Amino acid sequence: MEMIADAISWCLIVPGCFFLVTGALGLLRMPDVYTRMHAASVIETLGATLLVLGLIVQAGLTLVALKLVFVLALLFFFGPVASHALAQAALHADVKPVLAEDRRSRNLDSGPTGLAGSKEEPSP
Amino acid sequence: MFYVATGAVLAALMLAVIRAIRGPTVFDRVLASNTIGTLAILLLASYGFLTDRPEFLDIGLTYGLLNLIGTFAVLKFFRHGDLAHDIAEDQEKSRWK
Amino acid sequence: MILAAAERAQTAEQAAGAAATVPKDPAMAAVTANAETFVMMILLTLLAAITLAIIRQRNMFGVVILASIYSFLMASVMLALDAVDVAMTEASVGAGISTVVLLTTLYLTGSVEYPRPRSVAIPLFVSLVVGAALVWGTIGLPDFGIADAPIHKHVAPTYIEYSKKHEMPPNMVTAVLADFRGFDTLGETTVVFTAGIGVLLLLQGGWRTSGNSRRDDEDNELDIDGGEA
Repeated sequence: MEMIADAISWCLIVPGCFFLVTGALGLLRMPDVYTRMHAASVIETLGATLLVLGLIVQAGLTLVALKLVFVLALLFFFGPVASHALAQAALHADVKPVLAEDRRSRNLDSGPTGLAGSKEEPSP
Repeated sequence: MFYVATGAVLAALMLAVIRAIRGPTVFDRVLASNTIGTLAILLLASYGFLTDRPEFLDIGLTYGLLNLIGTFAVLKFFRHGDLAHDIAEDQEKSRWK
Repeated sequence: MILAAAERAQTAEQAAGAAATVPKDPAMAAVTANAETFVMMILLTLLAAITLAIIRQRNMFGVVILASIYSFLMASVMLALDAVDVAMTEASVGAGISTVVLLTTLYLTGSVEYPRPRSVAIPLFVSLVVGAALVWGTIGLPDFGIADAPIHKHVAPTYIEYSKKHEMPPNMVTAVLADFRGFDTLGETTVVFTAGIGVLLLLQGGWRTSGNSRRDDEDNELDIDGGEA
């Protein structure tokens, strides 16, 4: 019985850890505040949920599991609210998102890796 | 297995701290601060299971609440410059223009 | 002071890792010691990185957010050292109250730090000498948590015996704080009270004058998005 619980929690914790590291890597590599918020929300929802579910399976039916359920509910409900508030505050402070046209026009000037065949003008 | 969990949470913490140090605007830093708060809760949970003392999860609940309210206070401050700002007053003023 | 405390914690950690927590059996003792050392090293490195970033940052809003991140990391360090009540206090004071109070201050003053006019050679030299002296002093301290340090053999048994024999408060911690070390407590309460009154006076006076001047002054804007990396 313990082996089944261990197997289930391995299957839950390892993807959770993968999503944690992936989300943090996205937080580091994305070009803009808004896209970084997308990456950070992966940490709070997928990463935290899978990891805490794995820990709940390890804890069994004790008080610790109940506390973990509360922690999970807290993270699950408060994460999106904080992201929304942050996005609204950033929009209100006139932080401009990096659009695809800006990146494409930058690529056009920079040589053979750009869109060589098109004759588009870069957007003003 | 808890070694893997703790290691992953620490790796994510390192990357979030790098973003907090580098981020050009201040909203990058607020985002990194929010993420670091969440990761501190996860570190608490996995470290407690690693050392076989999971009784400290109550502190994790406190961290979660503090994280959220702190983020809201900071954002409200950036927007209005004042924590006691009344949004109804703003709406009234814009209505009478 | 922050750097010295971090150095001390790291030295103590590497000196006697297993004595800090109370493990449930000998097999867990090794795991706990390894895990604690590993987690502490990474967290202390992150603390040092954040401190360097706070020093180099020019935009004050960024500094305030970095200080709140520092408090969260410090609370995690205290958690790894088994001081859970201190960790909760650190999190609520550092990441909650202190951030908000610093932001209120920034609203009353400017939000970009002026560049330093002189060179930093002499202050750097002084702080390196003082830091080295502090580290050299902590090497002479006994190891963290071992059973035959002087404080466990002379001071603590004296307090326990005295408070059992004479008419002391039944809680020994209260007896130490209020009776044996009463002057320390008196000094602390005086300091905290004075600091609170001083801050209240500053905030009340500044609020009234700066609020009016802010509406007329065009240059005094909240400079949120500026600042180099």
